[in-house]
Amino acid sequence: MTKGILRRGIWLLLILPGVLFVAVFMLIPLFSILFSTFSSEGAFTLDNYGRLIQSVYFQQVFGRSVRLSLLSTALCTLLGFPCAYYISRYSKRKGMMMALAVFPMFTSPVIRSFSWMVILGRKGIVNQLLVDVGLFARPQSLLYNEFSMTVGFVQLFLPQMILSLLGVMDSIPEDLTEAAGNLGATRFVAFLRIVFPLSVSGLVTGAVLVFTGCMTAYTTPQLLGATDTQVLSTMVYQYAMSLRDWVQASAVAMVMILVTMLVSGIFNRLSRKINPMAA
Amino acid sequence: MALLELRNITAGYDKNMILRDFSLQVERGHFVSLLGSSGCGKTTTLRLIAGFAQPESGSVIFDGRDITHVPLHRRNFGFVFQSYALFPHMTVFDNVAFGLKMRRIGKEEIRKRVGEILELVDLRGFEKRYPREMSGGQRQRVALARAMVIRPDMMLFDEPLSNLDAKLRVKMRVEIRRLQQELGFTAIYVTHDQEECFAISDEVAIMNKGVIEQMDSPYHIFNSPRTEFIAHFVGFENFFDLTRQSGKLTAGNGLAFRVARDMPGERFRACIRPEDVILHSAGETCENALPGEVLVTTFLGRNVQYNVRTAIGEFAVKAEQGNVYSIGSRVQLELSANKIILIDPTDS
Repeated sequence: MTKGILRRGIWLLLILPGVLFVAVFMLIPLFSILFSTFSSEGAFTLDNYGRLIQSVYFQQVFGRSVRLSLLSTALCTLLGFPCAYYISRYSKRKGMMMALAVFPMFTSPVIRSFSWMVILGRKGIVNQLLVDVGLFARPQSLLYNEFSMTVGFVQLFLPQMILSLLGVMDSIPEDLTEAAGNLGATRFVAFLRIVFPLSVSGLVTGAVLVFTGCMTAYTTPQLLGATDTQVLSTMVYQYAMSLRDWVQASAVAMVMILVTMLVSGIFNRLSRKINPMAA
Repeated sequence: MALLELRNITAGYDKNMILRDFSLQVERGHFVSLLGSSGCGKTTTLRLIAGFAQPESGSVIFDGRDITHVPLHRRNFGFVFQSYALFPHMTVFDNVAFGLKMRRIGKEEIRKRVGEILELVDLRGFEKRYPREMSGGQRQRVALARAMVIRPDMMLFDEPLSNLDAKLRVKMRVEIRRLQQELGFTAIYVTHDQEECFAISDEVAIMNKGVIEQMDSPYHIFNSPRTEFIAHFVGFENFFDLTRQSGKLTAGNGLAFRVARDMPGERFRACIRPEDVILHSAGETCENALPGEVLVTTFLGRNVQYNVRTAIGEFAVKAEQGNVYSIGSRVQLELSANKIILIDPTDS
């Protein structure tokens, strides 16, 4: 009996520092921000959100943020699936392929954004190629728009998607695709009916990571976007640092959290529809 | 003409060839087992037939048609995996119906055929279960149903029972044999379990290092092994050399042996099972008598095993518990003429 209490005491002691850290530096600030957005001189109010929602500018920024994040998530899925499938099934040098896939993560997003500025700039290789091939007469503006932001997002978060997919794909036994083939499925159908639904849990993890990553990324949209392509994260910065309106910045931040949680929930719901056995 | 024929197959990875110039014929309606220890090439052979792997050279002929390069999804063979390979995200019904859906069979027909096959494997009412909600034996039967429902041209089994406990294994092998006889399909069955494959098969092909050492009925393999490897495999433990000297088969010590099933040739490897050797006290007269001295006695429960040193090597003898010979006692071994099997050493 006393031994049990002692053991529980030790566990509590071990957990305490982590719990305290999270509580002090994350939960308390989070809730104080949350409360600040609902109060005006001590009274409860919805004004801060009302103003946001009615603002056409906010609506545009909100729409752009969600749109670009969803688009980037979709692109990461499309690009990540073949890579992950190849690495898990056909690659003989799995370790090296994985290292290659993850390699971009070793570079900071700032440097990666600057690299894209060089690549996509008016004198960058993409423009040179397009002009040399004769597709365009003169260099196009590929930077500081939604296109360059999406490119930046996809490159930033593709490794996350590949890693998440690889994790589940590696646990799908080879037997299952062979069984599907034996029962008359082509490789493509076997992928569609067996590998895809069984990878869905990894897909959801990856999609949530990519989506939240895109929603919260700051340097990429700041460096590869322009003032007329603001997203929620740059908007928070603008409210807080340029306009010194901390309450409005907090309200936008709250909206960001809400959207991420909502979308994660929808992704999970979808995955259970595709594979009801996914935990 | 054989239904399935493998002609001069070579298969394997790089320098590590598993099959070399391998040939096999399977008659229509037969239940053929490939028996051998791991690494002997039996599973590779089955995978080649199914189309999971391609041979380096040689051909696979089915029903007179060369199917060596026909992709696996266009072959119509049922395959039962060791792991069952059931689709974990599909219900029993969807698992069984998968092959039918791939064949674009109508919904009504699918429901009817899945129902019939589940009835046959005694799984009616389990349609909505997921594989993880079922026991090993039930999963096994789903795997069987899924493979059989497509009305395959042939059934291929890859150690299907090795994940079941001993009791269930015996029950399922009777079940598989019953289904085969009821539906009349041709089957190739890979196993390393000798008892299992003898119980279930019309024909057994014993494989060793990528070749078939002997392919025969279980009865023949058990009673007349053709090579020393097979003799070992089916329980012969005592081997000795015999040569024909002035018409008589003579062992190294000069003793002549009478053998019920003689065959042409000059030099032979002879073998006899431990339980077929009869033990007498020293000096007793008997057929093919061989004097010796007890080295070791081992109590085995119903039997006692004696290891006996003789002039032509050590013999293992399994005797009933009657009189017990202690270590060092002189004994007389009787090697009955109709229990001695001759092996032509040039055959192996």
